[in-house]
Amino acid sequence: MNSLGMQIAFYGLSAVVLVAALAVVTRRNVAHAAFALLPCFLGLAGLYAALDADFFFVIQVLVYAGAILVLFVFALMLTRDVVNPTTPQMNRLTGYAVPMALVLLLVTSALLLMHNWRTTADAPAEAGRQAADLGVALIGPYAVPFEAASLILLAALVGAVVLAKTEREPEPEPPALAPIPEEGP
Amino acid sequence: MTLTGCLVVSALLFAIGAFGVIVRRNAIAMIMGVELMLNAANLNFLAFWRFTAPNSIEPQVFVLIGITIAAAEAAVGLAVILNVYRRFGTIHLDEISTLKG
Repeated sequence: MNSLGMQIAFYGLSAVVLVAALAVVTRRNVAHAAFALLPCFLGLAGLYAALDADFFFVIQVLVYAGAILVLFVFALMLTRDVVNPTTPQMNRLTGYAVPMALVLLLVTSALLLMHNWRTTADAPAEAGRQAADLGVALIGPYAVPFEAASLILLAALVGAVVLAKTEREPEPEPPALAPIPEEGP
Repeated sequence: MTLTGCLVVSALLFAIGAFGVIVRRNAIAMIMGVELMLNAANLNFLAFWRFTAPNSIEPQVFVLIGITIAAAEAAVGLAVILNVYRRFGTIHLDEISTLKG
């Protein structure tokens, strides 16, 4: 777990994630910010793989880098005439937000660095075993939260369609068709 | 690669996301900040799972349901933003102040 290659992978992936995240929140062009989400999500997927959570590596690539990113890009395209790279993208709270984020970071970092976490050297089960265990848990003891999550997802999908649907004028009645001349025998 | 290292990365990602949520004028960019914060939470869960309880399944269930909720949140949030855009012609959050007293 703590070989040199693992260390290099961890620091490299963390650097990719954090630099991309900074680009997401600071780029003036929102389209650039949306595309900076891609290395951020892929770097996080790499971190999950380094943490031996192979199933979540796949889920992260599929759901975040695949689906949610496309959703963002579509929303940007539908509102593209207000996404003008020359308009300022920061509101007037920036002066307060920088110290606030720094205080948040310092307090959480200080707390988690001071605490003596009891870690274990156990290795998790192999990847296929993990996914199988997770599936069994989802239909066994965690069936109710699982079904609730699927219900929420269904409600969100239907709600998103209803909210985003344009209300059209009812289409005018098509003109009556001329009767089809009967063919002679 | 230690638990503390993962937690520090996660705290940094959360702080960056919170900063984005506060300062961004564009509502879509604000939701991107929320996604960063949700990802930081997932990284935290998986780091604790790996280093303190690698044989328990609960953290993975948490992360899976968290990802589901994040996807639902992004879909509904972006649909609401599209509606706001049609109604007001802008998605800059400081110009949408009808409810301001």
